Formats: sequence, C-alpha cells, structure tokens
Amino acid sequence: MFDRLDIAQRHLAVKVLQVRHWQHVVNEALKKNVFPVPVHVAFGHEAAAVAIGAMMQAEDSLVLTHRNIAYNLARAGALQPVYDEYMRLPSGAGAGRLGSMNLSNPGHGVVYTSSILGNNFGVACGVALANRLAGRAGLVSVLTGDGAMEEGTFYESVALAQSHGLRCLFVVENNNHALASTIDQRRCPIDLAKLCGGVGVPFLRLSGNDVFAYASAFAEVRNTVMSASAPACVEIDVTTMNRHAGATPGWPTDPMNVDFQRGLVIAERTIDPVFVLKQVLAPALYAELEREVLMHPGSP
Amino acid sequence: MPNYITALNQKITATVAATPGICVFGQNINTGTFITGLTKNLAVPPDGRIINTQNSENSLCGMGFGMMLSGARCIYFAKQLDFMLLGVDHFVNTYNFIRCSRPTATLGSFSILALVCDQGLQGPQSSFNSFGDFCSIARIPCYSVTNSQDAARIIGTELVAPGFRMIGLSSRLFKTEFLELPLVHAAGDGSVFQYTEGGDATIACFNFSLPHGRALQQALAAKGRQASLFSVNYVPQPDWSPIRDSVAKTGKLIVFDDSKSVHLPAYRLLDEVAQAGRPFRRWTVTRGEDVDFGMSTDEFRVDIGALVSQVLA
Repeated sequence: MFDRLDIAQRHLAVKVLQVRHWQHVVNEALKKNVFPVPVHVAFGHEAAAVAIGAMMQAEDSLVLTHRNIAYNLARAGALQPVYDEYMRLPSGAGAGRLGSMNLSNPGHGVVYTSSILGNNFGVACGVALANRLAGRAGLVSVLTGDGAMEEGTFYESVALAQSHGLRCLFVVENNNHALASTIDQRRCPIDLAKLCGGVGVPFLRLSGNDVFAYASAFAEVRNTVMSASAPACVEIDVTTMNRHAGATPGWPTDPMNVDFQRGLVIAERTIDPVFVLKQVLAPALYAELEREVLMHPGSP
Repeated sequence: MPNYITALNQKITATVAATPGICVFGQNINTGTFITGLTKNLAVPPDGRIINTQNSENSLCGMGFGMMLSGARCIYFAKQLDFMLLGVDHFVNTYNFIRCSRPTATLGSFSILALVCDQGLQGPQSSFNSFGDFCSIARIPCYSVTNSQDAARIIGTELVAPGFRMIGLSSRLFKTEFLELPLVHAAGDGSVFQYTEGGDATIACFNFSLPHGRALQQALAAKGRQASLFSVNYVPQPDWSPIRDSVAKTGKLIVFDDSKSVHLPAYRLLDEVAQAGRPFRRWTVTRGEDVDFGMSTDEFRVDIGALVSQVLA
C-alpha cells in the first residue's frame, strides 16, 4: 500500500480519478438527455486509458474507436472540450463536427477515431508508414475491442505492420462484449497470443486494472516497439460497467445502475480501476486525491 | 503513336518520378507483368518508396487514407476496379471523417489508380464497370482517362494533388491507339473536357465511351456536319454549362455511356439540359439491361452509321 507517491504516480492516480469523475458527469447528463448525439461511456476503462495516455510521447499518435471517451478525456486533460463536442458546439474538441463516436483531437495526439468496426487498423498503419517515410519517430497506438478484432482487417493490418516494420501498437480491450453478445455467444475463442505469434508480433496480456502496473507495462512495450521498429499487440481484460450506449441506468428498473451520489467507485471489485486504486493507496492519501479531483471538476 | 496503356504508363511514371516523397503501393507493382504494363519502369525519387504489398485491399485503402491524413503523398495501383469494392468502407466512412475534420489543402494526397475490366474477357466476377456509383456513394472525384488531353490534366496534376480521388483506366482500350485530340475547353475540376466545336450536334461521352463519340463526330464531319464533342468525368457537382450551351445551339444531344449502372450519370446531364427549357432531340446509347440467367453484356457495340442517319434526318 502506498502512503506517498512520486510525481509520475500521483499524476496517474489523479488522472484515473479525473476520468472517472468526468464520466460520471457525462453519465448524469445522459440521464437528462442533454446530448444530441449518442455517447458510449467507458466506466472500467480508466486504467488502460490513463496508462496509454501517459505512455505517449509528443510525436506519438492515438487511433480510437467509438468507445473513446476515457482516452479522449485522459489525453485532453479536461472535460469541457469533450462535453462541448457532445453538445455539437464550436468550442468542442472537434469544433462540433465530429460528435462522440468519431471524436478525435489531433492537438492531443488523437489523430483518427472510427465508429466502424475494424476501420481504424489500416488507417493506423498508414499513419505509421507516413511516419516512417518522413523519418518521424512516433508510435501509433490503435485501439480495438474483442468484437472489432473479429474483422479480417485486424489480421491483415497486424501482418501489414509486421511486413513493413511499422511502429504500431495494437491494443485490444477485451470486455467480452459486442453490443449485447458475449464471446461465447458469437464465436470460438481466439488466442491472440498465437495469432500474433503466427506473424512474429510480440504479445502481452494485461489484467487487474492497476494503473501503476499498466503504465510500467506500456512504457516497456513502447520501448520494444520503438527499438525494434516493429509492431506489438496488447490485450487488456476490461469490464465495461455501463450499458452499451447512453445513460446507465437506461430505464427505471435497469439492473445496471451508476449513480454519482454514491461516489467515484462503482464496483467494490477489481473490475473497477478506481476501487483498485483505492486498495493500493493509503486511505488518507486516496481521500486527499479524491478531494482534489472533486474540488476541481473541470466544469461543467 | 503509342498505344493506350503505353502512353499512360509513360505519363504515370513521369509524374511519379517527379514527385518528392511519393509512396506507391499495390500488388505486383514491381514484379511479374507490372499490372499488365501499367506500372512498368516505375521509379520514385530517393525519398520515395515502392511497396509491393500483400493482398489486403480493405486495409490498404485504409492505409492510403492514413498516409494522406499524415501529410504523405501516395498512390495505390489496383489490378481491377472490382477489388476496390473491399475498400468501400474507407471511401465512405474514412473519407467522410477526413473531410469533416481537415481542410483539403492541409492533407497529403491519396489516389487509387484502378483498371476497369470492361473488355468482357474475365468472367462475370471481373466486370465491375460502374465508376459513377463509386463517385455517387461517397461523392468522390472519379476520372475515366481516355485520351492525351484528359491524361495530361488528370495524371499530370490530379494524381498527386491534395485529397483523394480514383482514376480508372479501360482494359478494353489497352491495345488501341492512344487518342491525341485537340482541346477546346477543360473544366477546372477535370469534370468536362471539350475536344471539337460544331453547331450541328452535341456529343457527350461518359466512362470510356469517348472513342465511340469520336467515331460519330468524324462520321458526321465526313457528311459535312460539325459536332461539339465532350467527355465527362464523375466529379461531384460538375459544371454542365458548356454542354448545356452547346445543346442550346445545336438542338441535338447524343449521349454515350458504357458503364454498367442503373443510375447512369448521363441521365443527370439529360435532366440538366431538359431543365434549361429549350426543346432538343436526344439519342442515348447505353448498355443493355441485365437479362434473366445473365447480365448486361460487356461488349459496347454502337451502330455509328445508323446514328448518323438519325441525327441527319
């Protein structure tokens, strides 16, 4: 248990709490139907989003999916530009033109976001190839899920990146869901380690939602990709603690219920990155950080 | 006089060789038949790259857009337009994202250069010949190159210009003599080219039908009648005014369209001219409809003699 943190660790911890807090704000707004666009909240994705955001250097790029809120909040470091984008306002991160599912933010490294399953892999390869041709030393991280990686272009793009020495990191957030279907309900198991091994791409699996462990792992993976000038793949076990899209709960008797009034923690289990953080920090330290985050909500 | 594919290969290789940092990619572009001669002798400047790729059309289309988004200039050579159906997601969704998030001038360049299998030799699955449908589904500029004038403009400038476009070449014309035509007018967006000026008839050619329009124009000239000859590319919101103005003078419009589509762009032109309100006679030469236990024929046969008789009547 930590009773003190260094600057980098404190930054990670605060970010996890911020991203959780801001998602609560968005979820409460969704309950009131204030947004003209659908929003895919990502309670439970905070540790991965913060760790990947922290891994990125100035020259790196991030390529996202429709469930991009945790990553966009972590990279933007503020709620307002994301919230405004959901309101389709000119002050939004995408000037009100992109909405939620395509929200990118090039100023913070989010160069492309796609709502189409599998669409972003090839684009990520193109960004990485352009980097290589221009002599730019950037890593391109492309996010996907256990559903979108079923698209054939996932395999194509991993092979493409490996064939041409592209600094591409494929990150699979495995939340065992595609819309309402679990993996068992829709396909045979896919052993990503073997799939990647088949084309010679290094593979790592992460679980546990400890943002400190994730940050170390991603820093190491980045070094591997950059030094080898070749892709890698990371699969992260994630539990999405909200409905597929829209507010949670979505109706009065919805068994899934998230309420900001109950605090930042949603589940008293390791599926919740905030709960995990609370477990590894001394109570006084956690209380201090939580107080700091809640006192600076970042509006609205 | 070089044939069609040799002339276009020369223009393409010249443009590519003169474009700093260009990346050209595609299957078999630097080996085998060099895509039936299309990419023969391809060379890039020292900071460019030639990539002989794997067979992953969808991902490769996405890669081209990713490069364009990052400011790079690239060309994807595709052996058949049919294969590009696997990239339609990117033509629509990826392209829509890019045009909503970045001004064209800030982008790199992405062109797809595809051979259109319009010669009827490769079976029912290798005969996709509906460039206009590609254009329509995502409002993409699509150019069907048929002669020296449009080649100079499209290959010489559009091929590596900022933004995205598709360029189609006709397999049917491969071994034919490359048409060297005079130029009367070229629209700034490459949508409409005019090759001859005449007051007796207006001929508008779509897709790869220009040789047929040219034959009609020459047959009419042999009878002492002068026609205005146009070719039209599938560019969103083209400026039809030169054709409309010509029809206003001639009162006769002959339209050729050899593409296989229910929604022929030629119909848009006819509509546009009709809305001008002046009466005109029209002849529309298209492929036959699909038939039971078969489909629209690949051959595009035109009875020029019969057409001349009708136009002169």
